[in-house]
Amino acid sequence: MAQKYDCIVIGGGHNGLVNAAYLARAGRKVLVLERRHVLGGAAVTEEVFPGFKFSVASYVVSLLRPEIIRELDLPRHGLEILPLDGTFTPMPNGDYLWRVNDHAKTRREIARHSKLDAEAYDEYGKAMVEMGRFVKPILSMTPPDPTSLSPKGLLDLLFLGRRFRRLSTEDKYNQVQLMTMSAVDFLDRWFETDVLKATMSASGIIGTFLGVRSPGTAYVLLHHYMGEIDGAFRSWGLARGGTGAISNAIADAAREAGAEIRTESPIAKIVVKDGRARGVVLEDGDELEAAVVSSSVDPRLTFMKMVGEEHLPGEFVEDIRRYKFRGSSGKVNLALDGLPDFTALPGPGAHLRGAVSISPSVEYMERAYDDAKYGRFSRRPYIDIVIPSLTDPSVAPPGKHVMSCFVQYAPYNLKEGTWDERREEFGDTVVDTIAEHAPNFRELIRDRQVLTPLDLERQFGLSEGNIFQGELTLEQLFFLRPAPGWAQYRTPIRDLYMCGSATHPGGGIMGASGRNGAAKIMKDKGWGGIK
Amino acid sequence: MSNVSDRVVIIGGGHNGLVAACYLARAGLRPVVLERRGVVGGAAVTEEFHPGFRASTLAHAAGPLSPQVARDLDLGRLGLEFIRPEVQVFAPAPDGRSLRIYEDPARTARELQGLSGADARAYPEFCESFARIGRVLAPLLTRTPPSLDHPTPGDVWHFGKLGKDFRGLGKKDAYRLLRWGPMAVADLAAEWFETELLRAVVAARGITGAFAGPWSAGTSVPLLMQAALGGSPLAPAVFVRGGMGALTEALAAAARAGGAEVRTGAGVERVLVEGGAAAGVVLEGGEEVRARAVVSNADPRRTFLSLVEPTELDPDFLAKVRGYRATGTAAKLNLALDGLPAFKALGDSGGAASPLAGRVHIGPEIDYLERAFDAAKYGDYSPEPYLDVTTPTVTDPSLAPEGKHVMSVYAQFAPYRLGEGDWSSRGGGFADAVVRTLSAYAPNLPDLIIGAQLLTPHDLERTYGLSGGHPLHGEMSLDQFFTFRPFIGWAQYRTPIKNLYLCGAGTHPGGGVSGLPGLNAGREVLKDLKKH
Repeated sequence: MAQKYDCIVIGGGHNGLVNAAYLARAGRKVLVLERRHVLGGAAVTEEVFPGFKFSVASYVVSLLRPEIIRELDLPRHGLEILPLDGTFTPMPNGDYLWRVNDHAKTRREIARHSKLDAEAYDEYGKAMVEMGRFVKPILSMTPPDPTSLSPKGLLDLLFLGRRFRRLSTEDKYNQVQLMTMSAVDFLDRWFETDVLKATMSASGIIGTFLGVRSPGTAYVLLHHYMGEIDGAFRSWGLARGGTGAISNAIADAAREAGAEIRTESPIAKIVVKDGRARGVVLEDGDELEAAVVSSSVDPRLTFMKMVGEEHLPGEFVEDIRRYKFRGSSGKVNLALDGLPDFTALPGPGAHLRGAVSISPSVEYMERAYDDAKYGRFSRRPYIDIVIPSLTDPSVAPPGKHVMSCFVQYAPYNLKEGTWDERREEFGDTVVDTIAEHAPNFRELIRDRQVLTPLDLERQFGLSEGNIFQGELTLEQLFFLRPAPGWAQYRTPIRDLYMCGSATHPGGGIMGASGRNGAAKIMKDKGWGGIK
Repeated sequence: MSNVSDRVVIIGGGHNGLVAACYLARAGLRPVVLERRGVVGGAAVTEEFHPGFRASTLAHAAGPLSPQVARDLDLGRLGLEFIRPEVQVFAPAPDGRSLRIYEDPARTARELQGLSGADARAYPEFCESFARIGRVLAPLLTRTPPSLDHPTPGDVWHFGKLGKDFRGLGKKDAYRLLRWGPMAVADLAAEWFETELLRAVVAARGITGAFAGPWSAGTSVPLLMQAALGGSPLAPAVFVRGGMGALTEALAAAARAGGAEVRTGAGVERVLVEGGAAAGVVLEGGEEVRARAVVSNADPRRTFLSLVEPTELDPDFLAKVRGYRATGTAAKLNLALDGLPAFKALGDSGGAASPLAGRVHIGPEIDYLERAFDAAKYGDYSPEPYLDVTTPTVTDPSLAPEGKHVMSVYAQFAPYRLGEGDWSSRGGGFADAVVRTLSAYAPNLPDLIIGAQLLTPHDLERTYGLSGGHPLHGEMSLDQFFTFRPFIGWAQYRTPIKNLYLCGAGTHPGGGVSGLPGLNAGREVLKDLKKH
């Protein structure tokens, strides 16, 4: 006898859990089904090697929506965000660029490279905060359908138009350039220091199959400033206990509100009867009934695998086929016996407590991309290194360290060989690249976990290993995410909703998709509003 | 000379300057077109580049010229003859296969059957979809972009109507328009077609004249523009008998007939600004030409950074001008040939039906085009460039001596800024690369070359006055487009200096020999001068 739920949430990633928490708080009977033995999806902490706990995939807290932290009271559920202060970029010429949250310090550091840039840095910061203010409310809104004639749709568009018009001409100019330009072209307007532009532009390409000179990459520069607007004490941080702790805190909030959460419950298919979602069938054959099914997994898994084309309109199927994943990044997690000693700034020090960015020049970044365009992983990749054990000793044995290396580019489709054949070669490339800046690095490595895009797909159910459940390119954003006409968290199947990163605003540990999706479900079902 | 009260100086006798002059003259003003060179036409000229051989030295295909401009100015009457060859594009592949694009999509589809049934089926819908979207966008080409800060009631009304037309497209096309706008043309081509050669032919239209490769976002925009202009996403092969110079000569004649004065060898040194308003210009040599208004056909950088005193402009505005992206990537190689080259992919040649009558596309794969761009990113020219080749003498023998031919090769990428050396020392190397690339398809080409003229980005700047050697007066990227062209807040053909206007390709709707910037600018000038 199948049990009847108000809502079954597919996937126990942070968005799925947020989605479930809000529905449960609204008094609904909610069940979360997670395929793996552990919750969190890509925001997960695992003890990969005895005593060494890793944020295996996603590794920093960037834009977790403050309203979610507040409404779900996450601190009470154990969420503690620790500062990740600064970005250290070693350079081949023995110099370095070290930006920290202390504005005056950063200014002095930049002045070391260029007086003009130090001045521009202030203006730039001010401008970005303005832009961030404009974009922020858009993150928590349901995208309108610009082709619909519904008054609501028109009003939403009008709202956007008005907001844009209210910007000063200068801010309009910046906003337009931010949305359309390449990160490097945009930064060229402000700065002359190559290493500064290279390191800043890196945030524009993370998770995309684009280069720092590709139009459309400037927009993500904003994210670094929106954190500040959120009033979070740091725009970037680490969760004590790893990113899994975020998921656990949200899960705790959901359970407290009455949600049921099952791990190791892979789903075979979504039950569709006469155009309506009625529940799910687990791989072990169990069938579970629900009034609503809310999927936090990506569209390819949701529609092609779990729903099945036969239940979907042909054009929608085409749109989902067209939806671009194109994973371009990998992850290398290392257990270390000690700290790397960077030639550019020897010895342990505060510079290792922030991010260490291997992005010495714009050309270096662009060449890394060129490799990927033609189906190779970068021979000298961009690497974003974090050593959480310096800030949060609980994740490694005393005196030992965990190092998380986010690596780009690693194209899902290799021209030569398979990822299974070339995994370790990829790992070696990463180690060699870091060793060029920190000669003692190789001796420190006790254990190494290499995650290729293929591994991200297999382990975390991210199609083609795209960490954002689909590329964050202009034609896949806002009212086009994930498919034209289906950006309102609804799907062509009644009572089937989407709440993952493949919906607006997507990407990063934001939780906005899960929360927006929950709001939409409650509205459609008359289950009240966000509480 | 006419009196100052109705005189309008137009700086530069390019096609847009001449079109503006025509419209101003028709309205009873006395335009004076001042062209620095000995010949009018700007980038649309016919010049003898080798004894007995003439070519459209720079632009070698007509945009096409806006039908409205052609109609208004009755250019046919002036003996202007357009040539539309049957085969618009002929694209050979290294493996000897080839592809022909005809004006008629159905015929092209039949041609495609040989390569891919799926592509043959997709092609007509590809063209129709663009045509439908083009019809909605077309009115924008002849509109002055709205001011975002102070839209006029006209703007509001027009955009209400545009919104209605947009919804009239229906969900499918409407969303296509929204998706394609910011899309990389490589993705667009791959969504429609499976044949790499066809993908490359489509993608090439998105990168022509741009500092971008087919994988760069926003490169689908030129296809939408082209559709708005001519209904087809692929630039048509429209030529002018006598070369592009014949077109601009006809425009000059029309302007003169209307009462305009067209002076060549009259280089403008600077714009006279009195009390924040343009009062005329000073020519090289000191002659002053005073006027009620000054309209600059020169590009934005040249206009504001070298023709106007910096003190006349606000520093923020100057910063925008300096930030305006206009770094050229195109070069031109004009060849005087002893005969018609034999393309491996072709049996016969010659005659108007010949595939060589249209444009020959060299760039068989998306990756080929992207690699050509990669070189430019690092300040080097492409060892294997993308080429758009025309052989005008196939349809217009008058350009060369009996039995001889002219080949006009548009080559990309040749970045304005070279990492090593400069164009004076490295131009020869690039010319060789172009000929080598072409010889792979037409092996006997090198033996046929009697004479050659290479125009590097620096020549484009020095000889034709194109800042940064940019053939389109600046990147046609999304951030320098429509109401952002050349700068947000200044897309209405006016400038911070009263009575100084822009009418060149640096304004909406941008580059290409369409005459539309001239048409729109002329209208705005007249509005202000209250002469109707």
